[in-house]
Amino acid sequence: MPDLSSIPLSALAILLAAASLWLMLPRGGARGRGIGMILGAVALGLGAARLPSLGQWMADGIFLVLAGVTVTSAVGAITFRNPVYCAIWFGLSLLGVAGLFFFVGAQFLAVATVVVYAGAILVTFLFVLMLAQPEGKASYDRTGWETSVSAALGMIIVAVLSISISGALSAAKGDGGSFRQDAKQLGKVGSENFLRPPSEDAMAANILAPRHVARFGDEVFSRHLIAVEVAGVLLLAALVGAAVIVERGQRSAVKQPRSEGGDQKSEIAD
Amino acid sequence: MPHELALLHNCLLVGAVLFGIGLVGFVTRRNMIVMFLSAEIMLQGVSLSLVAWSRFRNDFGGQMLVLFIIAVAACEAAIALALVLMLFQRRGKLDIAEWRGLREANQPGFREEPPPEAPPEVIEPLPHLTPAGVAPQIPREETDYRPRM
Repeated sequence: MPDLSSIPLSALAILLAAASLWLMLPRGGARGRGIGMILGAVALGLGAARLPSLGQWMADGIFLVLAGVTVTSAVGAITFRNPVYCAIWFGLSLLGVAGLFFFVGAQFLAVATVVVYAGAILVTFLFVLMLAQPEGKASYDRTGWETSVSAALGMIIVAVLSISISGALSAAKGDGGSFRQDAKQLGKVGSENFLRPPSEDAMAANILAPRHVARFGDEVFSRHLIAVEVAGVLLLAALVGAAVIVERGQRSAVKQPRSEGGDQKSEIAD
Repeated sequence: MPHELALLHNCLLVGAVLFGIGLVGFVTRRNMIVMFLSAEIMLQGVSLSLVAWSRFRNDFGGQMLVLFIIAVAACEAAIALALVLMLFQRRGKLDIAEWRGLREANQPGFREEPPPEAPPEVIEPLPHLTPAGVAPQIPREETDYRPRM
């Protein structure tokens, strides 16, 4: 368990986060988004104060900026009434996650996230919104299901996850705690080797190697070659499936006006 | 805390928060596309956790899994958006409540609340320039065809 003096502060952060999410989610015209934003900022500040330092102040600052942008944009993506704004905030959240990937050293994945997620998936979302979104603000965009319960439970899940993360990782410091005794019985997890970071040379040769994409490609096309082939087949199946779904949908959508003509081909098609 | 451990801890925490936010959005929103966006936010949280572990353990396995997560998410987005489009064409709305008939039979009834008032449409008048200057005198025979410009 993390040190007991910081539990009230963390509990307060979770409570404020739940309240702010509840206030900001669409609730059928109820107001309170401004207060929700302020409470959310306070909760983020409290959470950031609890984070262990990364050593240098610049690393800390960059990480906090990236993490702040990511989390704030994700909250914006679920909160706005207009779904196009939600998609755009999601794009910003993707940029934040890509920044965090760069920070951790996964350069290929950062660029892949921007190119594939923000460049393809997000654009597909926007196209579908263009085809399917009503002109004005629809009523179903301004209400939500059980906002209070879901905000509370979501933040409780985040609290449980963060307690288990802090508890498991602080066991490596040697501060101990009840996790240690339970973890030792599992054998491997409680051992010091699991949570000891690898040496600098091992890191520089592998994950933080200067030619990162070359190392990445080595791993993908040697140890995970079959998975690459299967992913290719999956992409083909998705492509064909999407085309078939849309074509079938078009055919059954136009079936009604054409049934007077008695077009046999479309009647036996489905 | 040593720096690598602190980096792992912080990235895992951000991943957990992203996952929680995506979960709340998925459960709460009624628009099918925003629900799908929330699912993608959850996937981003998991990807961040995997990449953090990969960095900590000096093993490319986490990054490999994230690569395949990205590929599978692209496939999932294609199929899901095709399905959403077809569902929209059946009912004319992107509302997930339109399809409540697909629930199990023993669920409590759905209370159809009156839709909230739409905010009033503010139509701003287009800017209007007052005409200035003197209208040019065009000879009558040149209104149809001007031999020179």
